[in-house]
Amino acid sequence: MSTVELRRPPRRPKPAPGSKRFSPLRAVGLTVVGLFTAFNLLVLYWLVAASFKTPVEIFTDPFGLPKHWFALGKPFRNFAYAWEQAGFGHAFLVTVLLVAACAVAIVLISAPAAYALTRLGVRGANGLTNVIAIGMGVPFQTVVIPLFVGLAKIHLTNSLFGLFLVYVALSIPFTVFLLTGFFRSLPDELEEAAAIDGASPVRTFFSIMLPLARGGLITGLILNAIGLWNETLLSIVFLQDNAQFTLARALFTFYGAASYQSEYGGLIAGVAIVVLPMLVLYIVLARRIITGLTLGAGK
Amino acid sequence: MVAQLTPPLTRAPARVSGTTAEHLVGKKRLFWPFLLPALALYVAFLVLPTVATAVLSFTHWAGAGDTPTFTGIDQYAQMFASESFQDSFVNTLVYVVIGGIGTFVLAFLFTTVLRDMRGGKLVRAILFFPNIVAPVALGMFLGFVFKFQPGKQGMANFLLEHLGLGAVKFLQPENVTWAVTGSIMWASAGFYITILMAAVDRIPPYLYEDSDLAGASPWQKFRHVTLPLTWDVVGVAGVLWTINAIKIFELVFVLAGPGTYSPPIRAWTLGIYVFDRSFGTQGTPEYGTACACAVVMIALVSVLVVLLRRLMRRDAIQF
Repeated sequence: MSTVELRRPPRRPKPAPGSKRFSPLRAVGLTVVGLFTAFNLLVLYWLVAASFKTPVEIFTDPFGLPKHWFALGKPFRNFAYAWEQAGFGHAFLVTVLLVAACAVAIVLISAPAAYALTRLGVRGANGLTNVIAIGMGVPFQTVVIPLFVGLAKIHLTNSLFGLFLVYVALSIPFTVFLLTGFFRSLPDELEEAAAIDGASPVRTFFSIMLPLARGGLITGLILNAIGLWNETLLSIVFLQDNAQFTLARALFTFYGAASYQSEYGGLIAGVAIVVLPMLVLYIVLARRIITGLTLGAGK
Repeated sequence: MVAQLTPPLTRAPARVSGTTAEHLVGKKRLFWPFLLPALALYVAFLVLPTVATAVLSFTHWAGAGDTPTFTGIDQYAQMFASESFQDSFVNTLVYVVIGGIGTFVLAFLFTTVLRDMRGGKLVRAILFFPNIVAPVALGMFLGFVFKFQPGKQGMANFLLEHLGLGAVKFLQPENVTWAVTGSIMWASAGFYITILMAAVDRIPPYLYEDSDLAGASPWQKFRHVTLPLTWDVVGVAGVLWTINAIKIFELVFVLAGPGTYSPPIRAWTLGIYVFDRSFGTQGTPEYGTACACAVVMIALVSVLVVLLRRLMRRDAIQF
């Protein structure tokens, strides 16, 4: 990027022969990019504004600022409704704890596996890595029925612990695949130096390789946290009891009731409660999230 | 002096090689303890259930309280003949193929512009945003966008009416597939733009400068520089797209239906079919049929991915 910026000034005053300023493709592209970006910003504005509006305002004045609830002195009425009446407050707590526990467990299990597959020089490890990576292509729908039947037998359906197990297990292929990329990129020399200094292989892993792969581990934590925060299908199947609902699950259930009662303000506040924490996380960590998610594809 | 020095010199390398050999053995001994937890969960929660689904797809089973009875390929025959499966299959293919082509055309169009645009990084981050939003929340939001109800129009119809054009019933069964295709393209374009841009950024700028000097049009630059040099990444992105598009579920379920139960059959995807026949049904579940459809899903993923890899295969270009 920086080299492109540096090269630009000399190019400006002297456009290359034949390269027209306004080619149709570029003009179309610029228009589409502009519209697309503006639309995404508008969507965000709409979501935040609508979560403070009455249903009438949402539909008759979709792009205006919220007024009614502010005039009544209850600006957070929709959020209060979603948080208390619709159970999003409790679901928020459940989701934060569940997602944090899952993300940590996933990385704790996947990191040694990824290390074993990349750095121990065991024959057949590459083939095994591919076998695990194929798991990323298996749709959840393909495994959900036997999982439900099997976990029901040991009374782990309608249980957050059951969902925890499912989440951790089904996130392993992606995480192992992501972390093998990180471990593979580490230099051999440090590991050799640790061995010559007399560190045991276990110690080499914990005090040399894990700290070096810290970036990968954090990326794995964040990507799994985002994925599980948004996960809906499995939470619908494995949670039936309101007291255990995760946010996405609560939103799914609230949708029908809210549409029926025209409680659109509360519903959009619910959507905002699901979306805005991810937005904050994204603003803080955009670069890491984007490079992490696209890493596997770029290599 | 010399005699005193030589013994340790010869012994030292021997000791080092001895410890590295020991070390190698020690490392290899770590393999199974390190791999086993992940592998055990992988086998227990992914491999075995997939096999179980394949077995169950040859049975008739109404779920809890019933026992699976072997019926051979009956479930498949009935399923293939049913309108709901045919609609689900066609819709899923529409999302994978037409949505995919649309998304990639859009993504490529963006790369030609974003490559040398000021603030390109910020634009990319904004375009990427829908990818971190829960699909169920996206579906609800899009439900508000496409809502048709005179006097309470959604955003799209609000704009259409203010422009003096008539409102459109986007979410009627005959239109919903296209509304969803457009929505998916909007929601996922950012992800594929980011992947492709990461590849485009690695192309040396002098190649574009050379083409500028030679008077190449943006299309020629795309056709002869960008596309050949990002081909491998396009292939991987295509595989990712296929995997993600086949399991589309929440977004369509919420956007096209009332949310609490399944949307009209015309809008179904394979993912909705599996869910409706197992957990979402208001009558008796049909686990056998649901499993048969789940097998079709994984078969479709495999066939399309292999096909795509075949189509995209060519010699690597070094640059």
